[in-house]
Amino acid sequence: MTRLPRQPGEVIDRSVPLRFTWNGKATTGFSGDTIASALAASDTRIFARSMKYHRPRGLLTADYWDPNGFVQVGDDPNVRSGHRLLEAGMEVSAQNVWPSLDFDIKAANGLVGRFLTAGFYYKTFMKPAKLWPTYEKVLARFAPGGTIDLDSPHRYHDKRYAHPDVVVAGGGPAGMAAAIAAASVGASVMLVEHNHHLGGALLWGTDVDRATGARLAAECMTSENIEVLLDSTVTGRYEDNWVAIVQRSHPIAVERLIKARAKSLVVAPGLIERPYVFAGNDKPGVMLSGAVRRLVNMYAVQPGSRAVVFTANDDGDQTARDLERVGIEVACTVDARRGENIVAAEGSTKSVESVVLGDGSSIDADLLITAVGWTAPTSLLNLAGDRPAYDPAAARFFSSRLPDNILVTGGLAGDGSLDELIEHGSATGNLAARRALVVAATLQKLTTRAAPLAGDPGEVPADDRAPLGRNPHPELHRSSTHGIVDYSEDVSSKDLFAAAKEGYDSVELIKRFTTATMGPAQGKLETVNTVAVLAEARGETIADVGTTVWRPPYAPITLGALGGRIFEPVRVSTVQSWHEAHNATPILAGQWIRPEHYGDPVGEVRNVRSGVGIIDVTPLGKLDLQGPDVPKLLNLLYTNKWVQLPIGGVRYGVMCAEDGVVMDDGVTARLGEQHYLMTTTSSGAGGVWEWAENWLQTAHPDWRVHVTPVTTAYTSINVAGPKSRELVSRLTDIDLDPQAFAYMQVRTGTVAGIDKCVMWRIGFTGELSYELHVPSGFGLHVWDTLMDVGADLGVAPFGLEAQRVMRLEKGHFIVGQDTDGLTKMPSVGMNGLIKLDKDDFSGKVELGLALDHTASLALPRLVAIQTTDPNIVPEEASQIVRAGTNEILGRITSSRMSPTLERSICLGQVLPEAAEPDTILTVVMTTGERITAKVMQHHAHFDPEGDRLRV
Amino acid sequence: MSEPATFASPVVSIPDFHSGMGIAVPTLRDESTTTKMLVRADNDSAVAASLGVSFGSAILKGGNVLVAATRPTEWLALGDPASVAAVIDQLVAVAEESGNPNHMSTVDLTHGRALFRISGAAAAKTLEKVCSLDWADNMMPDGAVASASVAKVTCDIIRNNQYEQTSYLIASDRSSAQYLFDAIIDAGAEFDIAVV
Repeated sequence: MTRLPRQPGEVIDRSVPLRFTWNGKATTGFSGDTIASALAASDTRIFARSMKYHRPRGLLTADYWDPNGFVQVGDDPNVRSGHRLLEAGMEVSAQNVWPSLDFDIKAANGLVGRFLTAGFYYKTFMKPAKLWPTYEKVLARFAPGGTIDLDSPHRYHDKRYAHPDVVVAGGGPAGMAAAIAAASVGASVMLVEHNHHLGGALLWGTDVDRATGARLAAECMTSENIEVLLDSTVTGRYEDNWVAIVQRSHPIAVERLIKARAKSLVVAPGLIERPYVFAGNDKPGVMLSGAVRRLVNMYAVQPGSRAVVFTANDDGDQTARDLERVGIEVACTVDARRGENIVAAEGSTKSVESVVLGDGSSIDADLLITAVGWTAPTSLLNLAGDRPAYDPAAARFFSSRLPDNILVTGGLAGDGSLDELIEHGSATGNLAARRALVVAATLQKLTTRAAPLAGDPGEVPADDRAPLGRNPHPELHRSSTHGIVDYSEDVSSKDLFAAAKEGYDSVELIKRFTTATMGPAQGKLETVNTVAVLAEARGETIADVGTTVWRPPYAPITLGALGGRIFEPVRVSTVQSWHEAHNATPILAGQWIRPEHYGDPVGEVRNVRSGVGIIDVTPLGKLDLQGPDVPKLLNLLYTNKWVQLPIGGVRYGVMCAEDGVVMDDGVTARLGEQHYLMTTTSSGAGGVWEWAENWLQTAHPDWRVHVTPVTTAYTSINVAGPKSRELVSRLTDIDLDPQAFAYMQVRTGTVAGIDKCVMWRIGFTGELSYELHVPSGFGLHVWDTLMDVGADLGVAPFGLEAQRVMRLEKGHFIVGQDTDGLTKMPSVGMNGLIKLDKDDFSGKVELGLALDHTASLALPRLVAIQTTDPNIVPEEASQIVRAGTNEILGRITSSRMSPTLERSICLGQVLPEAAEPDTILTVVMTTGERITAKVMQHHAHFDPEGDRLRV
Repeated sequence: MSEPATFASPVVSIPDFHSGMGIAVPTLRDESTTTKMLVRADNDSAVAASLGVSFGSAILKGGNVLVAATRPTEWLALGDPASVAAVIDQLVAVAEESGNPNHMSTVDLTHGRALFRISGAAAAKTLEKVCSLDWADNMMPDGAVASASVAKVTCDIIRNNQYEQTSYLIASDRSSAQYLFDAIIDAGAEFDIAVV
């Protein structure tokens, strides 16, 4: 092929040559070329090898759907050369060929083709099973597609939401007319065009076609109400007209996923030309009429020198005229409307050399063009519940039923002259807009925050469009010979007949068995032919056989586009900058970034036990509770009693779900007459809030309680250690005397000059400690001040790891770690907090049963465990088994080496029979080794009497 | 001892980016120091009647306190400390006069929530990259209030035009503020967003 003289409709800019390489060889194209057109213009005839047999393949459609045009561009595999625009410096190469495109050893597959028939995936490589790893390696070598460079930099993918009144899918004449009409009545419109130019088939049409297309395109591009998205595809339609649009080649991103909530969707994708099945139909030089007209008229490329045109419609006829206009010899026009046919393309594997006609004659030609009809790409309609029906007279499918918010126009709706198509498009756009504006007005009227709507939204307008006609078209699918049906998957009509004979004679089964329609073309070229061949094999009609169900996406979509901009919120406390500046090792706890330690967690433990340390516990869930009925709510949420809690008092409580399973725990303080502050676990903060609101709003709307999450209103700092009182006393006006401020009490006051601080005396670490809750805007100030004024006391920060070790030394369980989704409250040894004499509380019935039937229920029990060898720390989740067997008796839930006790310490859940103190347990290590351990008297390994807390 | 205490912004770092400050450039401002008082009361209470702000809308009270009805039975009062305190005092008095003060509560969320203001002609275009609300003028007019996910962070959003320019206030949990700030900057980069 070579470049033709300047063509009136060409889209290339000959003043801008672009250099690129093709399989390493320097080549030149022009700005506006696709990779395929540039290669074709430089005499490239073979673009790829077929997937299975590695047969040489040339251009078939020369557009996005071309199954033979996949190439590697740099590190980008599977690029559609018929669509991707040429850029300077591109390194383009053929995919999956070895050693070269021209001489591909894998073409030997063709010699054993009879063993690679339909369904061979399911029949071969099954036995012997032990050879599968070897098979896998060999098969991987034959996997189709390009190569991925894992070192390639990640590219920026974007995401956006939109609420247009009307989305028009397809920028051909009808689509453009629809967009203009919709915009003219005030609708906001998104016009989505798959290709790089508006116009559709007008781009390669007559002078009148191009002029009309240019006029419509200009109107669309300049309309304030129309957003034109070129090189973009509506990939799916979902509930309530949620439309996914992939916008390629956006200025700031390689792809952008637009999630549009369209009030009306106009589907106008046009029609996709269908190949013809005959012997040799995949030889380079066999093309569809649309491919030839695109190459000649848009890119000024000569597709061959001597052509045979097999035509059944005006497009085929016009193709012959186009060829003659540019001086390409048309050796023969074979007219299907006169009953003429072609039966084979012959020649070498690399090119058509002659065409055998239905009458047996043979005509020399290097180009065979077929124009046998179209596939209606009804995907978006199917996604809206439509089941398109086949019309044999028009030889294609048409929509049968659609909801009001989807309208069809253009070739998908019927046939007509250009003017008739535009008129139908305009009527469709107008109707879509009127319906959308009713929906928009209804939404506005129903939305509280929206501007008031004057008047009534009105009724959804009825469909008042004059329908398009349907031109008769011969049904042409397969000649008298067999050929390729699915070019992407190398599936032939012979394969389909064989599959049907084997019993795979349902269209859904044959699709999966042969993989026909499952390649990158996603059925756009091959579905109807597959159905037609199956119908022929079954002796039925296409309407009888039906089609497979089209599913999203309409066109293949990259994982990058689906991922888009990834939103992964992280949360930090106001002290985070200090943590980072002091080399804290971060750990992600839920969404929170927290300091795990500052380099020496063992040293941090020892510093707290001997002096004073501070930890940032801001993520601790905090709920502000106000109202006269708060005690009722607390009585309902917790298992213990709350009515008598005095102002200034703090109480620990456990929350259980209705099934008695522990769901959260924490302390709640009474700050005032009707004012409480509840803490929850860090991970339970959101859940407990929702749970409390659920009780209030559904079961007890009469209770006067306001629950407000205030987790980050306070920066929470725990000051722990024997010297904590000394440190805090230097900063606060609160009386810290043990008599005035005892264990499990709360005070409010000033800390480091900051007013409205809340101070609790509690101790998760088992040490004397004060938990400061400081208004967050001053959290860093208070933290800095603690570090400054405590320097002489040896104050040092400690992280989450040190806190976990100390709470384990103290025997405090963590909900979710030492409990699981089955752990009822009696299992954690807190039966004393279950107050069955309360009127009601969450889990009361189940917990009552659990207490009454403790023996028969055999609930596991949480116990402290110490290994016989003090230096062995079993991994958390290690199984506890009956000695000498694999019978599971429990598991280790927490384990650490205790710096304080200088020995291994654990918590674990075990069955009652193994829960008695001094029971010797067998623990299975992750290595398989079995060790022994002993059940301890108390949960607390350290200071079981709590003396250190109460000083 | 440390320096005298000042309110620390939740936004600690501003990412490197270029802004040409063109006419249509959206601007992003951290207004987290604004006093934010949450008021809870029944919809049929005297307090609600006194506020006169229906769910989904915001109005200016007392000249410079913006009261937004963020949820049914919830209002967020935004302004300077004295003005907000005056409005709250007035509400407390109304509640007490009504004889049922227990139907009202207040929580100071000044420290618990970050507050950003994004303004300019491209503000909505920036926000539609991080939030699925319909930003059309008729669906989100000046004075409209919504609660929505912004870059997956639950936020209260108030359309609060300033100087005849489109402007939105976004209130989020303080701990997510730096992440949210960065996400909005990223979204606005294509429109040359500027931090002011």
